[in-house]
Amino acid sequence: MTAFAVMRLELRRLFVRPLAWVLAALTLAELAFYFMLLLNNFLHLQVQLAARPSGPGLTDMVSVPLLSSFLTGGLLPFGLTELALFVVPLLSMSMLAGERSNGTLPLFFGAGVPPASIVLGKYLALLAWLVLWLILTLAMPLSLAHSTHPDWGKLASATLGMLLALAALAALGMACSAFASHPAIAASAALVITVAFWVVNLAAQKAGINNGVINWLAMPTHLEPLLRGLVSTSDVLWFVLLIALTLALATRRLSSDRERG
Amino acid sequence: MQDLSLTLPRGQVLGLLGVNGAGKSTTLSMIAGALRPDRGSIQLNGADFPEQPELARQLIGWLPERAPLWAELTVSEHLDAHGRLRGLRGSALRQARTAIIERLQLQPLARRLAGVLSQGQRQRLGLACALLHRPALLVLDEPANALDPVQVAALRALIREEASSGTAVILSTHLLTEVTAVCDRVAILHEGSLRHDGPVHGDEHAALERTFFEIAMKSGARVA
Repeated sequence: MTAFAVMRLELRRLFVRPLAWVLAALTLAELAFYFMLLLNNFLHLQVQLAARPSGPGLTDMVSVPLLSSFLTGGLLPFGLTELALFVVPLLSMSMLAGERSNGTLPLFFGAGVPPASIVLGKYLALLAWLVLWLILTLAMPLSLAHSTHPDWGKLASATLGMLLALAALAALGMACSAFASHPAIAASAALVITVAFWVVNLAAQKAGINNGVINWLAMPTHLEPLLRGLVSTSDVLWFVLLIALTLALATRRLSSDRERG
Repeated sequence: MQDLSLTLPRGQVLGLLGVNGAGKSTTLSMIAGALRPDRGSIQLNGADFPEQPELARQLIGWLPERAPLWAELTVSEHLDAHGRLRGLRGSALRQARTAIIERLQLQPLARRLAGVLSQGQRQRLGLACALLHRPALLVLDEPANALDPVQVAALRALIREEASSGTAVILSTHLLTEVTAVCDRVAILHEGSLRHDGPVHGDEHAALERTFFEIAMKSGARVA
């Protein structure tokens, strides 16, 4: 129950701070522009696509590229995933590092809130914001659902992939925030680690290595199949493992804060 | 901290005196549950509460030094957040909030953001958060910091009122006058250990001052 009290407090703080609103406004404006661009491109290619027996549809050419430009070869460099690489560290940086630098972290301990509940409550609040962000992004292609035939299976798989990716990025951000003494340090560390998880296998791929540990470590290896409509237990488990590990690290760090002062 | 053993009955006000760095805030943080002692035990109503954080949630109210607050929340939102963290819900939370706002005369500040409060107002809000859930043990770290003389008098009256209703109170202070004005008992900490523990009577100021300086000077502390 205390995790929900922490979550409620954090959500309130998130929604009264201008940062969350500014980030939401800027990123949704960029995504709306990108959506229009993708839609325009799709409409221009309609005649050619109609001639193909199993050509790509609206889901392949608009909905999924809107979620990840990098992994689907989109028109602009920034889809939702690419924006999340920058947005999540900015939102997660104050979660625990901010409490530490303001001296408010002991208030939770003094109220008898266990470190796991602090981490979980704050994580759920961040996740709630990110889910809302994802829903607003998905509302763009879904607004065309009445007049088109979306590939619901592929869209559901891509949504699951995005949800897992956002949850993993949020957990990484929380862990960085738990270890940092200042929010700026937390944001920088989260950005570097997130980008590392994103590009760790690029050099290996250039060298023609398409399997092995280094590819397993990279987030795109597990996100790409989901975006293309292929749900595999091993990919889902990779995200769950990353989330559990980083949240456990954050909890451990807070416990040692309580022990060391 | 070492060699520190204290027992505090209900309704007693214990003053914790000591020079800077004596260990007062560390002791209070451990008693409040914010810091886990690596040895020893802290018992509340017979239960070892660092192992049972829910006891701290219900039974302890803590005002840390300088009253840390969330700048972007209003006074009212602070009280709600603290109440929820302490397990209060629904009408019980609303009643507790209304009562404490009235008691500490926070009505004009209720909708003001904590970030724009003066230090004295922050201290009053911190005190309100500590008292909200009617704790059995009230832990106050330098509660009179930044309060004006009128507010100090009101704070003393409030501490005595809490004690007479059965709440045990521990307050740390640098001020001997604070101890003689409100405390039933004084403990003097120096270099992390307990050097004196005895009752206080209102006319004992000079004797207490002598004891305090003897302890501080004997250990080579610099007194300005």
